[in-house]
Amino acid sequence: MKHLLRQTFRSGKFLVGFVIFMTILLTVLIYPLFVKDPPLGIISRGTFLAPGIYVNVYDSMNSSPRYTLILEGAASRRVAGKLGDDDRQAMQEWLVAKGVPEDSIDIADTAGLIALWESNFDPSLRLPGMTNADRNYYIRLTASLEGLLATEDAVVAAANPETGALEEIGVITQTDYVNVGEVPNSRLFVLGTDNFGRDVLTELVSATGVSLIIGFVAGIVATTIGLILGLVSGYIGGLVDDIIVFITNLFTVIPTFVLLILISFSIGQEQRGAFTIAVVIGVTSWVWTTRAVRAQVVSLRNRDHVNLSKLSGHSVAYILAMDILPYIASYVVMALILQISSAILAEAGLSILGLGPRTTEVPTLGLMMRWGLIYQAHVLNYWWAIFPVILVIALITFSLNLMNTGLDQVFNPALRE
Amino acid sequence: MKFTRFTIVTLLLVTLMAVAVVPSIAQDTLPRNETLYFNGQQWGPVVGWNPYSNNNNNAMAIAQQDNARVIMFETPYLYNMLDGQVYPLLADGPFAWNDARTELTFKIKPAAHWNDGTPLTAEDVAYTWATHVKYNTPVGAANLDYIEDIVAVDESTVVIKAKLNDAGAAVNPLLVQAYVSTNYVISKAWTQTLEERVAGDPVALLADTAEDVIYSGPYGKFFADDSKVVYVRDDNYWGQDASMWGKLPVPKYLAHTIFKDNAAGTTALKAGEVDVSQQFNSNVQDLWLVDNLPISTYLPEAPYGIGASLPTAFFNLTGSSYGLDNLAVRKAIAIAVDYPTIIANAMTNQSATFDQVPRSLMNPTAGEQALYDHAAVADLQWAGNDIEGAKALLDEAGIVDTDGDGWRELDGQKLSYVATCPNGWSDWQAAIEVVAAAGKEIGIDITSNFPEWSVYQTVVTKSDAPLPEGYDIFMMWSDGAGPTQPWSRIRKLMSSEFIGMPSNWNGNWGGYSNPDADALIQAIPQETDAAKLKEMYTELVRIYLTDIPSFTLMYRPQSFHTVNESVWTNFPFDGDGTNPPVPPLNLTDGWSIAGLYNLELVNP
Repeated sequence: MKHLLRQTFRSGKFLVGFVIFMTILLTVLIYPLFVKDPPLGIISRGTFLAPGIYVNVYDSMNSSPRYTLILEGAASRRVAGKLGDDDRQAMQEWLVAKGVPEDSIDIADTAGLIALWESNFDPSLRLPGMTNADRNYYIRLTASLEGLLATEDAVVAAANPETGALEEIGVITQTDYVNVGEVPNSRLFVLGTDNFGRDVLTELVSATGVSLIIGFVAGIVATTIGLILGLVSGYIGGLVDDIIVFITNLFTVIPTFVLLILISFSIGQEQRGAFTIAVVIGVTSWVWTTRAVRAQVVSLRNRDHVNLSKLSGHSVAYILAMDILPYIASYVVMALILQISSAILAEAGLSILGLGPRTTEVPTLGLMMRWGLIYQAHVLNYWWAIFPVILVIALITFSLNLMNTGLDQVFNPALRE
Repeated sequence: MKFTRFTIVTLLLVTLMAVAVVPSIAQDTLPRNETLYFNGQQWGPVVGWNPYSNNNNNAMAIAQQDNARVIMFETPYLYNMLDGQVYPLLADGPFAWNDARTELTFKIKPAAHWNDGTPLTAEDVAYTWATHVKYNTPVGAANLDYIEDIVAVDESTVVIKAKLNDAGAAVNPLLVQAYVSTNYVISKAWTQTLEERVAGDPVALLADTAEDVIYSGPYGKFFADDSKVVYVRDDNYWGQDASMWGKLPVPKYLAHTIFKDNAAGTTALKAGEVDVSQQFNSNVQDLWLVDNLPISTYLPEAPYGIGASLPTAFFNLTGSSYGLDNLAVRKAIAIAVDYPTIIANAMTNQSATFDQVPRSLMNPTAGEQALYDHAAVADLQWAGNDIEGAKALLDEAGIVDTDGDGWRELDGQKLSYVATCPNGWSDWQAAIEVVAAAGKEIGIDITSNFPEWSVYQTVVTKSDAPLPEGYDIFMMWSDGAGPTQPWSRIRKLMSSEFIGMPSNWNGNWGGYSNPDADALIQAIPQETDAAKLKEMYTELVRIYLTDIPSFTLMYRPQSFHTVNESVWTNFPFDGDGTNPPVPPLNLTDGWSIAGLYNLELVNP
């Protein structure tokens, strides 16, 4: 056993797959210890917030240690953030179209450009070739120019609860900074938020866990059914074999996924929990395991040690468990790994069609993709809501398949180097 | 073996390429500068062109509704949702009621004619109605209770005789009046041809695909298959007469590519292959803010469109949901729901908030908002998210958690409900999730469930028995903008007349019943005094917000009207200076067709 394990880990493919898989598994186990938020909690009002650190404006305004930093180019960065080169170009185009002589416009001179703009821009003017989208753009641009070049401090005021009058409560200068770590409320969204306003990373970790459980349950169910049927069919033979082979062949010709869709649809959404889906996937994907196990058992059952065991009066169950199973155990383990990986894919496929587990109880990788697709995250460039999910699915199946190939190299004499 | 496989793969590839290339060839034959492309209306191939039938799947051409789709078939009047008025199309001048309000008279424009050149007369209007009645078409069945007859007095004069009640007054003058802007005028000559063809068989008449149909509108069939449908302008269109538009609509072709799904449609919109989009695009503002595309909506800022309908969550009041007959429970749930999150997340801000437009029975249009006294019901309106208020309300009513399991009980029985809407209706599902979350905040166990639409619709519309388990709080729509609004919407939200219907596609699916409300709903269509009407509407709002038989979750536009100005410009937008204002209904519905005459090319 020790030798076998050592040999297994000497396989490069298995090792890489194992490391990836364990990394994912450990993340799933450890992450919830640090981030205790419920994975399905709706925390943003507004959807698909981009990844980043979100700092509470109110708190940072009131944050007591405030630091003064004299950073070079701060003012020009402030201006560039609101008035980029494209914006200047667009302003020039508009002014020229209105009849302002081109040589009187210097787009590098911010103050001059803004002054010229403010004295000329008229949102109701319809210039030839200008669309309503352009007009909306210029109106937005004009609004964002408000106070752009101001050097005065900003005054913070609050309404007096009794009189309703505004009273000054603070002043913010342009060189004031706060340390993000000292602001009481800030939130890091490593992967942004999704269409419901949920933290994608927290949801993704939890979904990975659920999908792995679905994979394990489905894999174990499928492998158990496949193994038992294969052992019985191959060893006992005769009529029992005929019947099992008949059923197996019947299931082989029906596409598994179609069967899966039909069963999922007919059990209805009320009953479709993650566990149910796992079992459904399991009971529809045992066919190939049965066939392979049966084939191996047929070749094993006339071996001498099996006959010897029979003569010794051992029961069928004993023979199957002690004399046959050990010979095909490596195959069964490999089949199990593949079943797990294909079950995770099957859940994703089902969920994308809307036939997976119901939305609210637990997140799964398939459900995350489904909602991302419904809200068109892939079309509207919200990569963080869909790409990490695909990556995790790919990594899980890739690592499992890699482990499988690695094991194959160790156990299959034909492939041994 | 290898050769065979190679052959098969090659054949497959060639087929695939052929499939991909054929539509694009057809597409290329339409000059881009003369074609206006749409999305979001037509899903699947067109079945027919029969204006009597409901099963044409011809969304661009045939929709007899409050804002009737009039590119091919025309109504006497066009409804404008922005000012609530109707404007004559085939009709000549405004319609007139007689003093008793039992007969409505209008004239047909002398210029009006069919696309084959024959004049369109009052006789066509009368014969259309007669056919609807004779063959019991959907239009006939819907109006038979309100319209006695439609007759042609002479060549150009039409009189609609209302069905009278025992008192000798019209049963419902409002619905009679709505007929003229909702239903098409269909050619008598063509109808007779059709009747001959189907030998008077009503089923065959409705099933006829009517490829030979005669129409009066500016566009007719050019091309239709399973990849797209294209309409071509009739350059002999009567509307270019000075008595109507005085010119032809600008685009020569209207085309609607049949997209696989919303995502495909959005991709085409972004690429500039679609000019007018009737699709829900989440975070539509990113199309111009982030992607810098020449795309805009009717309003430049949220809510981007004009809300017209009120998607609403109904409480099951049919007796099968324990505790929902208790007003405190209903009110607590309704005021605890986080509506700002529904609007920000489920609708991605494409709905006015309840701070902007306080809840009532009216949609956010100015015309409807003016119909009730805001101050009189201000203390009944809630903006939501009032967890503490809801808890206090329940505590006060004695509905508290007595057994310490975290959930409240009413008379010893735990309050637990299922909130539901059809599966796949993404914005509704997201909204229902928020409703369920509100329940957990206030100690009422609400879980969500999303059955398939086929199941959902049969359950919800069966109003002759108590609703089954799993439908305690369920979402349905309400009427949008139209000539009978807000009366018709209120009726469908509150009137008890629908209770007992085996197939109720009207409303009040929760089974609410209040004789005072019923009496007001009965009386409004007969009332003409504006001050009196306002009083009645205010009273209805007061009853609705007091009894809370259902609660509106969001405002939803009549159409998601998003335009890409890569090729065409001068689409309607708020403050575009048109008078009467052109509503944002994709240039095809009701008065919005006026927008087709204003379009300009960006690069002529």
